[in-house]
Amino acid sequence: MEGILSPAESAALKELFEKKLNGVMRMYLDTCARCGICVESCHVYASMPEVKYTAVGRAEVVRKIFRRYFRMQGRFAPWLGEVLEFDEATLNAVYDAAFSCTGCRRCMVHCPFGIDTQQVMAIAKALLIGADREPKVLSMLADMSIAKGEGIEETRADYAQALKNLEGEVKAIWPVPEGTSAIPYEAKEADVLYVALAGSHSIVSAAAIMNAAGEKWTLSSFEAVNFATFVGDSGKAKRVAQRIIDEATRLGVKEVAVVECGTAFRYLRHMIGPQKFRVVAFVELIDRYIREDRIRLDKSRLPESVTYHDPCQIARNSGIMEEPRRILRAISDRFVELRPNREENWCCGGGGGLVAMGELDFRMKSSRVKADQLKASGAQIVTTACENCHSQLSDLNEHYGLGMRVEFLSHLVAKALVLPGERFRR
Amino acid sequence: MADYETKKTLDYKGLKCPMPIVKISQELPKVGIGDIVEVLTTDPGSLSDFPAWAKTTGNQVVETRQEPGLIKIYVKRLK
Repeated sequence: MEGILSPAESAALKELFEKKLNGVMRMYLDTCARCGICVESCHVYASMPEVKYTAVGRAEVVRKIFRRYFRMQGRFAPWLGEVLEFDEATLNAVYDAAFSCTGCRRCMVHCPFGIDTQQVMAIAKALLIGADREPKVLSMLADMSIAKGEGIEETRADYAQALKNLEGEVKAIWPVPEGTSAIPYEAKEADVLYVALAGSHSIVSAAAIMNAAGEKWTLSSFEAVNFATFVGDSGKAKRVAQRIIDEATRLGVKEVAVVECGTAFRYLRHMIGPQKFRVVAFVELIDRYIREDRIRLDKSRLPESVTYHDPCQIARNSGIMEEPRRILRAISDRFVELRPNREENWCCGGGGGLVAMGELDFRMKSSRVKADQLKASGAQIVTTACENCHSQLSDLNEHYGLGMRVEFLSHLVAKALVLPGERFRR
Repeated sequence: MADYETKKTLDYKGLKCPMPIVKISQELPKVGIGDIVEVLTTDPGSLSDFPAWAKTTGNQVVETRQEPGLIKIYVKRLK
């Protein structure tokens, strides 16, 4: 019969599901009281009010499979209802649930039981991988990262040359003494390993800031982002992160500073277990430099009003909320808050791999509430500390004609750096 | 340094993560097997990303060239 999976396929998916069933996950699946408090939490539902776009609606797809295969009623009397068999329709529903969720966890903040829908969606994503239905672009990007780790020696010299070619842009912001590298690479005795992304925009401003602070730093060979986390492949996610762990351990650094990338930061900070180094977000490093008076910033260079978008993985899911605000108050007299903000901030709508997957129509429609929030701020600039958010905010800005400028926080800081002897306004 | 007969030039300068790799994976299948495309980029990381991507997808980076402000990557479709 069309749409029915073979017994072997169903058994394999059931086994995958079972591997995810630890005590916490069973609590998430058994506990929901259907109070509905999470309904209004999701930016997708707030923008497109359909039940399937609620946190409980998404989790219910996984719960119905759980009931069918792991609860007495579902195993022996599935005709009583509230269950889902593994078939084509179920896998389609699983896909819609998993990849309409950005993993922002705003619903978890509101849930009286603290049910983590992102973790429930980890089961959905594992099932999709098992059924070979995951978004192939995300798997491809994860595979690329792993291959990069295996072949890094073959391309190291080219990368080093590219960094040398980029040094002029760094020196234009913050000069370094003759004979000193503006982008240290493979530097011995560095205290900080800065893990950037592929683009020069993720390197130049950060390099200038660290040089201005007199930091002993070195640049990683690898990109911070971990696409395996988006696709939900925990095995590959570990291998992607291991490249950076090995590099940091080999170089003997005290800290790994993660570029403005929420997912990269959250994974490295919270999910790799104890290491010999600390993991900090680049925004934390900038805040530290300001507090220790290692960099000075000129407020007069940012005359426009500016607001800040809290990236979900850095703010709500990692607690870094006051650092960016201290930085903004150091570079602007016209900082205005988005409402709501901090842990209550609306997700940008581009998380969970959606930006890499394209999905422009869904991303724009499902983030109308974000566009409304940005517009209501009245700010001329929206800044953030996450590349994924920056991409999504840029698309929203264009799609909804918001007329804002979207900036990385590190770029605003680099523009405000005060050279020794320069006059500036605090 | 060889001169290649390139089927097209793809301008990926200034794109954000992970768009250069996403776009090449969409564009390369549009040329014939054995054809070469030229990619223009400003991303230092692309010098490692493209060879790694080519390895995992069964294609080939035949050469990379760079100068301040510009990186050129020549990618051959093999499958």
